Amino acid sequence: MKELVFPGDKVADTPQRIPGCYVEDGQTFASNVALRSDDHIVQLKGYYVPKTGDDIIGIVEEERFSGYNLALNSPYGSSLSARDTRDELKLGDAVYCKILAVNEVKEAVLIEPQKLPTGSMLAIDSVKVPRVIGRNGSMLDTLSKFTGSHITIGKNGIVHVEGGNTSLALKAVEKICRESHTSGLTERITQMLENESRANGGQGEQNG
Amino acid sequence: MAGKVNKMVEKADLFKNGKRIDGRTPMDLRPLKITAGVLDRAQGSCLVEWGRNKVIAAVYGPHEVLPKHLADPTKAIINARYVMAPFSGQEEHGRSGPNRRSIEISKVAKHVFENAVLVEQFPKTMIDVHMEVLQSDGGTRVAGITAGAVALADAGIPLRDMPVGLSAGKIGETLVLDLDKYEDNLGDSDMPFVILPRTGEILLSQMDGMLSREDISQAFDMIFEGAKKVRDKQIEALKTSYERMAAQVTTQGETNQ
Repeated sequence: MKELVFPGDKVADTPQRIPGCYVEDGQTFASNVALRSDDHIVQLKGYYVPKTGDDIIGIVEEERFSGYNLALNSPYGSSLSARDTRDELKLGDAVYCKILAVNEVKEAVLIEPQKLPTGSMLAIDSVKVPRVIGRNGSMLDTLSKFTGSHITIGKNGIVHVEGGNTSLALKAVEKICRESHTSGLTERITQMLENESRANGGQGEQNG
Repeated sequence: MAGKVNKMVEKADLFKNGKRIDGRTPMDLRPLKITAGVLDRAQGSCLVEWGRNKVIAAVYGPHEVLPKHLADPTKAIINARYVMAPFSGQEEHGRSGPNRRSIEISKVAKHVFENAVLVEQFPKTMIDVHMEVLQSDGGTRVAGITAGAVALADAGIPLRDMPVGLSAGKIGETLVLDLDKYEDNLGDSDMPFVILPRTGEILLSQMDGMLSREDISQAFDMIFEGAKKVRDKQIEALKTSYERMAAQVTTQGETNQ
């Protein structure tokens, strides 16, 4: 049984660490609009706050003498040292990185950068990322299968799509985000991808 | 010339035979309609139609603080902006801002939202809450804050609870809830309030006119009772905005098939 909870609603009598909730007087309350099912609570909207160990996609927004500043689809910025990268990066380049550390004002230090090839990008709400990936990557597999695109998703909500039918892949990702709180989403996405691929003469599947 | 005739109202008309000028009893609120998610560009938005008041609120952020020296490394800062549209008012009420009145209301609204938003989750950022009064008929600051609260929840900003605004006041010897423009201007007292219903915390308390200690105590009770109805409407607005989306999805799905 799924139900919506709203800011101020009590979700547990004990203190629990749940995204979209806060603890006060030993009890847990919702701080965001969220969907509660039997065993878990999923936030419907949120913001990405950098966390150590996250794999993210950053976009180069500033080039410095000693490195780069990357935008993370977040209120907070990040920095990548030039020593940690072999590639020379340009403004607007997309880079897949890991967060090494986050300082007290939540700015991230990035390592292990991999420059992503030129492609299309979309910034989505970071709370929708698990829905786009699907259980054990099932949704992502479906998207890749029908569009023939190589899709990379950062935990911060930046989606990078390269090759195949990129516009169809981005359209499907947008649909997943818009309808993430409804049931039967996987079937609807598969249906949409099937219909659109058929209309395009199965272009995506051939490429894949 | 066809046009609306403004009624000349006198103080004696405000409360007669247990009924107020618009037929309400002292505890009745004006018809209230709240719609969440009315603007596509804003991260969160809300339209409140409360009697003849119409207030639209939009939320942007959290984002980088500009100018940078205002940034607080321990928490987010709230930038609240209450302003009346030049066409919003009747007679002299509702000159377009920014003016003394809108600067004051923006300041008190900022303090309300600072105490409702979990600001410590977003250090060094800024959250903008814009409240624009499109049509005014008394009680616009509480309508604005009520709209701002729904817009914040719609934007996914974490809140301890949704602030609820409501005003109480006195006409002659009778305490009433939710005063309109005539009751506000001609009545004896007007007291706008904003509370957090879960904990009963008072985030805004202002008063125009005079009330005795007993009156204030009774007005508190009336406000806490009336605020439940406003909160229900806020929740309903958020619920409807997600249900509306789900319904659209279902309809589209059926059409596609």
